[in-house]
Amino acid sequence: MAEASVTENVVAAAPCTAACPVQTDTRQYVEFITQGKYEEALELLLDANPFSSVCGRICHHPCEQQCRRSKVDAPVGLRQLKRFVVESTREYRLSRRKPIAPTRKERIAVIGSGPGGLTAAHDLARLGFKVVVYEKWHTPGGMLGTAIPRYRLPYEVLEEDIDDILSLGVELRTGCEIGRDLRIEDLRREGCKAILIATGLSESRTLGVPGIDSTGVLLAIPFLRTVRLGENPLLGDRVVVIGGGNVAIDVARCARRFGVEKVSLVSLESRQEMPAWEWEIEEAIQEGIEVQNSWGPRTVFAENGTVRGIELKRCTSVFDEAGRFSPRFDEGDVLTLLSDTIIIAIGQRSDLTCIEGSAVKVAGDRLEYDPETLATTETGIFACGEVVTGPGAAVEAVREGHRAAKAMLHYLDTGEFLRQPPSELLALGEMPLETAEKVRRRAPVIPELISPERRVRDFSEIERGFTEAEALAEAKRCLACTTGALVDEAKCAACLTCVRICPFGVATVERTAAMPQEQCLACGLCAAECPAAAIALKRFGTNQMRRELEGLLATGDEPKHLRPLIVSYCCLFEVTSRRLVRAEPSDVARTGVARVMVPCVARLSVLDMLTPFELGADGVVIISCMEGDCLYPTAEERLSSRVRKAKSILDEIGLGGERIDHWKTETSAEVSWSAFWEISKRKLRTLGG
Amino acid sequence: MIVGERKPFRELKGFIEDYRKVMIVGCGTCATVCFAGGESEVRVVASALRIAFLREGKEREIIEDCVTRQCEPEFVETVVQKVNDQNVEAVLSLACGVGVNFVAGKLDDVPVFPGINTKFFGATVEPGVWVEMCAGCGNCILHLTGGICPVARCSKSILNGPCGGSSDGKCEVSPEVDCAWTLIIQRMKKLGTLDHLSQIIEPRDWSTSRHGGPRRVVHEELKSVDAANQQG
Repeated sequence: MAEASVTENVVAAAPCTAACPVQTDTRQYVEFITQGKYEEALELLLDANPFSSVCGRICHHPCEQQCRRSKVDAPVGLRQLKRFVVESTREYRLSRRKPIAPTRKERIAVIGSGPGGLTAAHDLARLGFKVVVYEKWHTPGGMLGTAIPRYRLPYEVLEEDIDDILSLGVELRTGCEIGRDLRIEDLRREGCKAILIATGLSESRTLGVPGIDSTGVLLAIPFLRTVRLGENPLLGDRVVVIGGGNVAIDVARCARRFGVEKVSLVSLESRQEMPAWEWEIEEAIQEGIEVQNSWGPRTVFAENGTVRGIELKRCTSVFDEAGRFSPRFDEGDVLTLLSDTIIIAIGQRSDLTCIEGSAVKVAGDRLEYDPETLATTETGIFACGEVVTGPGAAVEAVREGHRAAKAMLHYLDTGEFLRQPPSELLALGEMPLETAEKVRRRAPVIPELISPERRVRDFSEIERGFTEAEALAEAKRCLACTTGALVDEAKCAACLTCVRICPFGVATVERTAAMPQEQCLACGLCAAECPAAAIALKRFGTNQMRRELEGLLATGDEPKHLRPLIVSYCCLFEVTSRRLVRAEPSDVARTGVARVMVPCVARLSVLDMLTPFELGADGVVIISCMEGDCLYPTAEERLSSRVRKAKSILDEIGLGGERIDHWKTETSAEVSWSAFWEISKRKLRTLGG
Repeated sequence: MIVGERKPFRELKGFIEDYRKVMIVGCGTCATVCFAGGESEVRVVASALRIAFLREGKEREIIEDCVTRQCEPEFVETVVQKVNDQNVEAVLSLACGVGVNFVAGKLDDVPVFPGINTKFFGATVEPGVWVEMCAGCGNCILHLTGGICPVARCSKSILNGPCGGSSDGKCEVSPEVDCAWTLIIQRMKKLGTLDHLSQIIEPRDWSTSRHGGPRRVVHEELKSVDAANQQG
């Protein structure tokens, strides 16, 4: 019989996915991790975001900010899980690289090799276009390649993503500045039918205060480029960094790594208003950087043209009533900091050299463009990313790159412009507090950063990734939002069983049962007990499991199974490596154990326990999590009573209930499971076939 | 609802073992709610029977189906169709006796076997426990007994109880059975109508119950025009 349909009624996305600028199916890749399907997870990630390695390191992870687990204890470490996926699939990722032969005759030029430009190049290459990317600097990656210090983003990590993109056949020309070395008309002449400007904000803004021209006053981006090139920027003993954003923090932290003892960061904003990410500020302070909030520069003191210090004035407010940047100062409140080097990190501006000689118009210091079509004022020239939007995060540039590729494809296909209005996914609503209170708390796995003293010694990466056991433990914390119980109303008999057994008090019955997706925690207990088979879950189904079992037990060309043949349903959440997670028919033939991993074995119905015997198994071994470790209240008792019922049915039909064993994991899956299988096999041998 | 209980597997297997292709049909209403014959139970019964036949090396095809109610012609029509289309040799119905009767009446030459023992009209007194509350006697007297039926709930169906077998509120038949008359008295005390019991309930005319033969209920306004004409 057909199982209840699970496709209807799901309109809302998991909040992590809805919050992600590229709408990564976060919940799904976390599920893939729990299933040991790291390669599938990687495919999913790369499909949404060709800069997955980068984002595994430095994404500002709005997914985590929106994680519904925050209501229970702390968000799931999604960024680190992403990093785990890319780190554990390196060889696979290399093996999947293959060039795509262009199937389209049109050539496309992309100006700028940052995340936006390269994402567009990636998408367009996959669509069969010949894409050439021009980069004015000698290193690709835009700000990722020049401004983000390697203690946060090692170069090799960026290279993983870029090399992947280039392997599609994208041509990269570094050290080639459009507008200077070549002009847009040259690109046209070379046959480029569409051009994308994705040059970002590559230049530092400076300040208009007296003394700013003194020796020892540096700009953030050139400073960070020097660092990137491995050169010593020759700093003084006291460095003052002006700015409160992430770049300012990067600059200050780099200065500490060049041995400067006294690094002060001067921010116009108060601590709460600072635009830098909170965790970045915290880490900077740990590294001994002094943060001076609510000060603005007044005068740079110099002696013989060389910086000696800076005078600051108290900033009383940064924004006006409408929230616009409009700082006000108290000129009477002044602070003087002695310093030998001042680095200005107050923001970036675009470098519009590339449009020289073209008809692309400029608005302020940005390009004029239509935010829905991404078209500039010259036909065939598109623009995306910070050069048109202003400052943004790397993952937002990736989103814009995807949009640009779509826009250009449509233009090349039809000669017309595609409107792409801003779209947002409808996110699943908040979890009510009374539901959150019933969810079992589990502390997040947060790898410790290396100590601040050690950190400032060099540019080594400060954060380590998850071990496999840690990743599996953290992935288990995902609440699997949007995969909750769905009711087939045509089948529901309104028997109230779901209402009576739901451990979270979520199910209700009026005319038929309903489990609001905002509240359902997808434990599956109701589905296991529903007498009408009217409840389905996205992640798990009896028919789906039967198919898996049929696949596993198919002998094919293999010799017959070892006897006794056991089907073992195992709690997916108890493994600390994927060694035990995935099973192949050949393993079954060899070991006589067919493992089926279940996201909590308490979902197993009586039928699930009988099916293996139908398919020729001699015994069933159910292994649940460790005593008292189950995520779902009452689940252990429910499972036990279902096991009793299945055993009584086997007794009734003369096969014997002792053919089903129910164990609880001891210590870990790796330690205890094979012993359980051995004990059960021994017993089955005495029982005979 | 009508409450039933699955028959032992040995009995079910005995019914169908001479047929090569059997359809097990569940019922989506009462039998589902009392966990005796809903879709999930159909699947369990089918699986258990397959396992049993497999052990004996007998090849049997068992098809599963479940309809909303086996006591309605439109729903049963789909069963009839499947039986005919798929050359089913026998049907095992997991509906109450009504469903078994009704399906059997629609199938000419295919036997229909009862998969459950139909027990009573009852209520869920706690999850997993159903208790008889109505005997379907055709002439309700619950207004006289505080809403507690002596016909269904008193072991002797006494109309003026309790009898001498009542002790500590329990019936002598079983300590699990409440004495209906004790319940009636307690309830009527609460209602302030205990004095009504001083009036003896007259011996009943049981012809409205089973004693008058099989019963029927007719709503003239709901009968189809054709059927009404035929009956004149």
